[in-house]
Amino acid sequence: MNAIMTALALAIACAVLSVFVVSRRWAFIGEGISHSGFGGAGTVWAIASVWPPADRAAWAPYLGVVLFSLATACAIAYFTRTGKINSDAVIGIFLAAALAWGILAQQIYWRQLHRNPVGWDVFLFGHMAEMSGSFAAAAAALCAGVIAAVALLGKEILAYCFDPMVAEASGVRVGFVHYVLLMMIALTIVIGVRVAGSVLVPAMLVLPGATALLVAKHVRAVVIGSIAVALLATMTGIATSHYWSFVPTGPVIVLTMFFQFIIAYAWGKLSSAIQ
Amino acid sequence: MPPAIEINQLDFTYASQPTLRQIDLTVERGTTLGLVGPNGGGKTTLIRLLLGLLRPGAGSIRIGGLPPPEAVRRGNIIGYLPQNPPAPGLFPLSVREVVRLGLAGKTGMFRAHAREDLAFAESLLERVGMVELADTPVASLSGGQLQRAYIARALVARPMLLLLDEPTTGIDRAGQRQFIDFLQKLKEELRLTVVFVSHDLRAVSAISDRIACLNLTLHYHDVPDHLPADLVFRMFACDLEAMGIRDGHVCTHEGGGGPDAGTPRRGDARTRSEPAILAAKGTPE
Repeated sequence: MNAIMTALALAIACAVLSVFVVSRRWAFIGEGISHSGFGGAGTVWAIASVWPPADRAAWAPYLGVVLFSLATACAIAYFTRTGKINSDAVIGIFLAAALAWGILAQQIYWRQLHRNPVGWDVFLFGHMAEMSGSFAAAAAALCAGVIAAVALLGKEILAYCFDPMVAEASGVRVGFVHYVLLMMIALTIVIGVRVAGSVLVPAMLVLPGATALLVAKHVRAVVIGSIAVALLATMTGIATSHYWSFVPTGPVIVLTMFFQFIIAYAWGKLSSAIQ
Repeated sequence: MPPAIEINQLDFTYASQPTLRQIDLTVERGTTLGLVGPNGGGKTTLIRLLLGLLRPGAGSIRIGGLPPPEAVRRGNIIGYLPQNPPAPGLFPLSVREVVRLGLAGKTGMFRAHAREDLAFAESLLERVGMVELADTPVASLSGGQLQRAYIARALVARPMLLLLDEPTTGIDRAGQRQFIDFLQKLKEELRLTVVFVSHDLRAVSAISDRIACLNLTLHYHDVPDHLPADLVFRMFACDLEAMGIRDGHVCTHEGGGGPDAGTPRRGDARTRSEPAILAAKGTPE
């Protein structure tokens, strides 16, 4: 039940944010933040290889993921806002450095303790079965926070996503909106890493919005469509792994979203051909 | 009441290269200033300084008596039409929603738009001829329709000052004439002060009460008809006829020429009899 609640809350948060991620062309930012979490877990593994008590705290690697993801989101937000370095380059730099550090730390751990860190593959591919009640509550709170932020700052977020420079020139506090959006994306990724893993969670921040934008023409319809896409895919993923226990949930969710995108694209092409 | 724009001794340097030097410029309320100059002459930098997006290295800027960041924060002092607005792509907004985006700064966070502002947005849609297309997705508009929607967005907060950065780029001559007539009408109806940035001297001179030639320094600030042809040739290095210059003077209407041949415009009688408010400081012409 906790796993289902977590996955559904995550699906809604991802779906709402994905509309803005796609509109702002931030798909690569999701990749950068999610992969930086691996560097955070790696830091804890490196500490555990020389200080065994850190290895006994099962929550410690996840704390590393949270801290690294938020720090990376802040750094990306700062550099993309100031424009001092090209945003693609900033994301590529953080992504590569975090992955390299995570892999190196895992090897240090293996060399010292002659085994892989417990649950290191969970950070890459997620694991739905081990959700606690408090984690499900955190996911629900995140979902409510994302919906509330988008409802309260809707006009500022839309103005910023549509044309950041004109929004700034017309008095919108675009710096605030920029950081709020990126922090919400980072927190969503932090929750999503446990469900779909750092490899797949960025897809959940892109595919629902991209699919809905192909078929709906107004903001509300796009947000509702995006939520519908994400919920359908998530329920398909949960049901599939319930009936066939060897099937992991995250990949099924992402593949279902992918097929929905293909169907929406084909539908759009067919509609315009008929017209 | 303070002037719409007051710039004193402005310097701006970008990456160790001086971009603007010793600029003094005053734009009175209700007038139109045409800002011309070659590419890289500092026109867009000056606009970004007016918008508070850049900070001056030295000197001061006042918009209606306020520093630019303060004027921008109020949300109803400056309207801005950028040179290359991003293409709407698949962005799911109607024309009406895009126009209302211009109210976000004025309304402020966590508040709903005022009823009179929404009513004004509707009246603007009518003024710019977009009322029939108000519910159309902005992604399906033509270039000209999109520009009208963006002008309505720039004006919806009822700004005192409208900054237009190269608004006629990519528009043919007939389209430019239509745009200028449309802009002139809006300016009079809404009592706007307009800064019209362009490298197209003919388009600028057709609407402006004064012209400022900018290329690192301010080379000229006066009425269009007095603009010396040799200055135009030096700044733009092109065929003077193509720039709308005949007999050594700017031609301000189609088929005419010479200093007195221009179509009479509001403010001409005053501006012709007055010396330029402020002459160039760097290399006076």
